[in-house]
Amino acid sequence: MSAATTATGAAAAANGSTDAPVLSVRNLHTAVATPEGSFDVVRDVSFDIRPNEVLCLVGESGCGKTITALSIMRLLPTPPVRITSGEIVFDGTDLTQLPERRVRDVRSERISMIFQDPLTSLDPVFTVGQVMTEVIRTHRDATKAEARDMGVEILRAVGLPAPEERFDSYPHELSGGMRQRVMIATALVLDPEILIADEPTTALDVTVQAQILERLRAEQQDRNMSMLLITHDLAVVASIADRVAVMYAGEIVEEAPVDELFSNPRHPYTQGLLRALPHASRKRRELVPIPGLVPPMQMMPPGCRFAPRCPHALEQCWTDHPPHEVEAGVGFRCFNPQPF
Amino acid sequence: MKRIAARSVYTLIVLLLSSIAVFYAIRLSGGDAVSARLPASASYEEREEFRELLGLNDPVHEQYFRYMGRLLTFDLGKSLTNNADIFDMLTHHGKNSLILGAAAFALVFAIGVPLGILAAVRRNSWADGSVMTFSVAGMAVPNFWLALLTVWLFASTLGWLPSAGCCSFKQLILPAVVLAMEGIALTVRMTRSAMLENLGQDFVRTLRAGGLSETSIIGKHVLRNAMVPIISLAGLRIGQIVGYALVVETIFGWPGLGQVLVNAVLRRDYPVAQFFSLVLITIVVLSNWLADVGYTVANPRLRKS
Repeated sequence: MSAATTATGAAAAANGSTDAPVLSVRNLHTAVATPEGSFDVVRDVSFDIRPNEVLCLVGESGCGKTITALSIMRLLPTPPVRITSGEIVFDGTDLTQLPERRVRDVRSERISMIFQDPLTSLDPVFTVGQVMTEVIRTHRDATKAEARDMGVEILRAVGLPAPEERFDSYPHELSGGMRQRVMIATALVLDPEILIADEPTTALDVTVQAQILERLRAEQQDRNMSMLLITHDLAVVASIADRVAVMYAGEIVEEAPVDELFSNPRHPYTQGLLRALPHASRKRRELVPIPGLVPPMQMMPPGCRFAPRCPHALEQCWTDHPPHEVEAGVGFRCFNPQPF
Repeated sequence: MKRIAARSVYTLIVLLLSSIAVFYAIRLSGGDAVSARLPASASYEEREEFRELLGLNDPVHEQYFRYMGRLLTFDLGKSLTNNADIFDMLTHHGKNSLILGAAAFALVFAIGVPLGILAAVRRNSWADGSVMTFSVAGMAVPNFWLALLTVWLFASTLGWLPSAGCCSFKQLILPAVVLAMEGIALTVRMTRSAMLENLGQDFVRTLRAGGLSETSIIGKHVLRNAMVPIISLAGLRIGQIVGYALVVETIFGWPGLGQVLVNAVLRRDYPVAQFFSLVLITIVVLSNWLADVGYTVANPRLRKS
């Protein structure tokens, strides 16, 4: 059994939940082919999504969060990006091995995904209802009238005013927040087991952000659905997550229940992120940035990928790659964890 | 709707201005209408008398208003060369041109759009390469030369098709293909790039995440988005076909409007030349107007504004 499996298992026990995961990502490697060679943009990533939980995947842009999500949905832009090894086990099947035709049956029906920019993510020349009807009728035997009823009902459920009219609207007739509600409604209309939300509020106004997050959380609880929420915003994490996985340079560097992560982060990168976050209750006034930059993927250090920016790096950190360690239900990749 | 109304007003203004331009151009272009009708031996007095009869000695703007007045009462006049009724010429030759033009227009899209989709979907394959080579050739080869080439190959050498004449289906094939060629070449390129542009859009990923089949995503959603620029430029294809019809109809001896116009200009047959110029201009201007309407209908973002 790999270190990662133990980590998530232990985390589950710590969380008081022993349910089998709905989805398990195991040692996932996703690489991009470039003229200079093939580089892992997602490296040895393992995590579980358990029933009824919100797992947040956090990290700065370009760290591989979206690629991880697209790997699960099998929506990678192949070529040049493709899964090179690892498993994504969902309901007993490895999604990485499924033929395209079978993957389509999973998409939206069992695992749905919503995207960052609701303006460009909706087909501009079809109405909300036309696309929704097509999604429903691709997966279910439903008449157009039945599909319309389902669509209007879910639009109402996600809090869209005048859902009957909106069903026949084009995306350009809607505001950003309304578009994101439409995308959520389309993703939820078939009652999937998992919703993957890739920065669903980044392109929205702050007030609308809060409404959308609240709606997502409510739908997740009402439907007994699991959610993988991708964000770079730790405030979003604090408000919605059950568990958090922190990604850096294509790897998960720390994974913990949300309270544990905020109160007792192990990995120096996580600690750095929290020190860079303004916090009303904390005495520390000064925000501390993390020095340096993420190395470009062609120049990843052979040891710990964070070593060049780490204040506590040891000799070993520059040469050996830290394995996934587990301590009291928290998984992390670090040779020299420091108290926070 | 406001947009369409504005375009309609604009179209009327263009029509009016171009009718003036045509009228002046024909009168200022040298040559003499009188020699079209009178024998070379006619005396100076006879010529003057005939000019007076046609009103050619009046100021051009007076002639213009008189002519436009008659046009509005559908009095189109007669040809100076053979006294044929211009309205009869319009119906007879117009029908032939319509057949040829419609055939070419249909070919532009029936061949251009599918080839463009193929090239986009099989991007960088040999199929894409051959389609794009064909497209470059189609744009580069002048249509009069292509006409001669096809006549040489399919009529003289292989003997599959007649080299000229009207109006059987077999006689239609060569002129229609030649007339359509540049439009096909342009439509292929435009379809390919519009398809590729839309295939890269975020909404395609959303539709894939919805579990839709690639057939529906490409054949319905991406194609419909890609058709917006293609439809909006369809009017320009009509204009192109009308322009090239002059050459193609003359080479293939297809008795259409283009051929009539070319002959009338060569013979200084004023009434025929100016009427058929106006007809062709009206077709081009109206097809541009139609393109605007088409663009508005194809693009929901413009429909209600």
